[in-house]
Amino acid sequence: MTTTSPTLPTPTTIPTIPWATSDRSALRSRRDDLKAIPAALKSEWIKLASLRANKMILAVTPLVGALIAWALASSATITRLTASELFIFPLPLVAMLATITGILMFTAEAQHGTLAGALTARPTRWVIVTAKAVMATTVGLVLGGTAMLSGFGGAMLGGADLGDESAVASRALWALLYIALAAMIGLGVGMIARHSAGAISGLLMWSFVIESLFAPALPDGVVHFLPFSAGYRLLDAGPHFEAPVTIANELARPQYALIFGGYALASLAIGTFLLYRRDAN
Amino acid sequence: MINVSGLTKRYGDRMAVDDLTFTVAAGRVTGFVGPNGAGKSTTMRMMVGLTPPDTGEVRYDGIRYTDLKHPARMVGAVLDARCMHPGRTARNHLRAMAAMSGIPVSRVEQVLADVGLESAVDQRAGGFSLGMRQRLALAGALLGDPQILLLDEPSNGLDPDGIRWLRNHLSTFADRGGTVFVSSHLIGELSLFADDLVVVGAGKLLAAETVEAINARQAVTVVVETPQPAELARVLATQEVTVEAAGDRLVIRGTTKAAVSQLAFEHGIRLIELSETAQSLEDSLLDMTGASAEFTSA
Repeated sequence: MTTTSPTLPTPTTIPTIPWATSDRSALRSRRDDLKAIPAALKSEWIKLASLRANKMILAVTPLVGALIAWALASSATITRLTASELFIFPLPLVAMLATITGILMFTAEAQHGTLAGALTARPTRWVIVTAKAVMATTVGLVLGGTAMLSGFGGAMLGGADLGDESAVASRALWALLYIALAAMIGLGVGMIARHSAGAISGLLMWSFVIESLFAPALPDGVVHFLPFSAGYRLLDAGPHFEAPVTIANELARPQYALIFGGYALASLAIGTFLLYRRDAN
Repeated sequence: MINVSGLTKRYGDRMAVDDLTFTVAAGRVTGFVGPNGAGKSTTMRMMVGLTPPDTGEVRYDGIRYTDLKHPARMVGAVLDARCMHPGRTARNHLRAMAAMSGIPVSRVEQVLADVGLESAVDQRAGGFSLGMRQRLALAGALLGDPQILLLDEPSNGLDPDGIRWLRNHLSTFADRGGTVFVSSHLIGELSLFADDLVVVGAGKLLAAETVEAINARQAVTVVVETPQPAELARVLATQEVTVEAAGDRLVIRGTTKAAVSQLAFEHGIRLIELSETAQSLEDSLLDMTGASAEFTSA
């Protein structure tokens, strides 16, 4: 429903800001670009926090975490997993939410034209990319942390024992890295595709269909380097929800982190290159 | 002041903007006119760094836009009023813009009041009419209290009251020493408050003059009704004018009715009717850009 236009005021006295002439015509330096990052971060935060869709994703995440962990805890048959192991199992799905949020951080702006406004206000494009990458990482960490906490609670409610807590911190930190990198991959893919539906469907297709269907048929040497297969290995969970054990012929987690991080870095680098080359909209 | 020099942009085989050079003076309203596809929007996008030009540059008081430390304090731009997220409120839309430019958040309320949207600050932009979106976009351009305003078709979607409001707003801005560069298809509307005009067609500069200068070049037509048309035509043949006969009437171009009246008097030719019509500014500009229009009606 369109709102009735409010009445127009007479432009008699227009408020002014007492900028000095030197303020208006000051030249930008590299240091000014660095100083502009906090302002860009603040702007990105306002954009993120002001949309209902993002609030809904944040609200859904603990439900997802709790529900999945509860379901696994209450239905485990062969190996009884503990809460200290189950709390990371919701994260592959939460990683998709983080990836989608990362995508939308750019594509929504590109499609609604607000990217042009941001670039007009801050023509130095890498400042915008940096702010978005930091915000995407933050979103990933918040979603991951929320999902793990609720996953712990859901697992306990499902009857799982607490288990060995000694590895919880390590698992949680690797899981947070996984989610943060997933959000950055989403941002990079969004910057490349510039289209919400295309980027989201493409990424989901790749992760849930192509990698899941073809990975078992590929040699280990290739599977290790598929993005989401590598990212999943950070969770210290087996591919079929078996107990977290060291799987033979697997790479070490730091190596998987490098592979997954490499995809995040590459997608951001390509996206940034295209941002400089393409027209803003 | 804005100096545009040698601006060029090509998309594939199509030259969107071709070596455009002109100056926009401070304290004046400069209209930017041309038919669809003339390169107006592309030019304005290059002026704020959204589209990289192939060659040429734009300088604001001698500084390139991308070299400005605080672009929003120098230049306020409204390039597309639809550029806002429909799920975001007017206040948050402007808060995000203000934050990016390092402008105090208190400025948001000021500009919203200035454009008359203070009662709609917490409404989502998706529910705004086009006129409200135009006003919100103008509010965004005014956030930094800039010296220069660039507006691309700002009166689209505004009702007559809104158009008059915008016209008064821009005139007041220029009267305070600001620079206004506004593109519009509404040539008649633009002529009411523009001081200068930059006319483009097919990406090329066709004219960059004051409105007075363009008005002065407008073709004048004198229509005369006389019982002695042949005699008058004979007298007029000695002048550098064109004469078309239409019964008892003569349609004369290249002179004024005062001159025709004087000639008739000197040769004892009786006149029944004498009138003069000037070509409108719109017609003048359409004549100027007609050959370069990309899309024309049948």
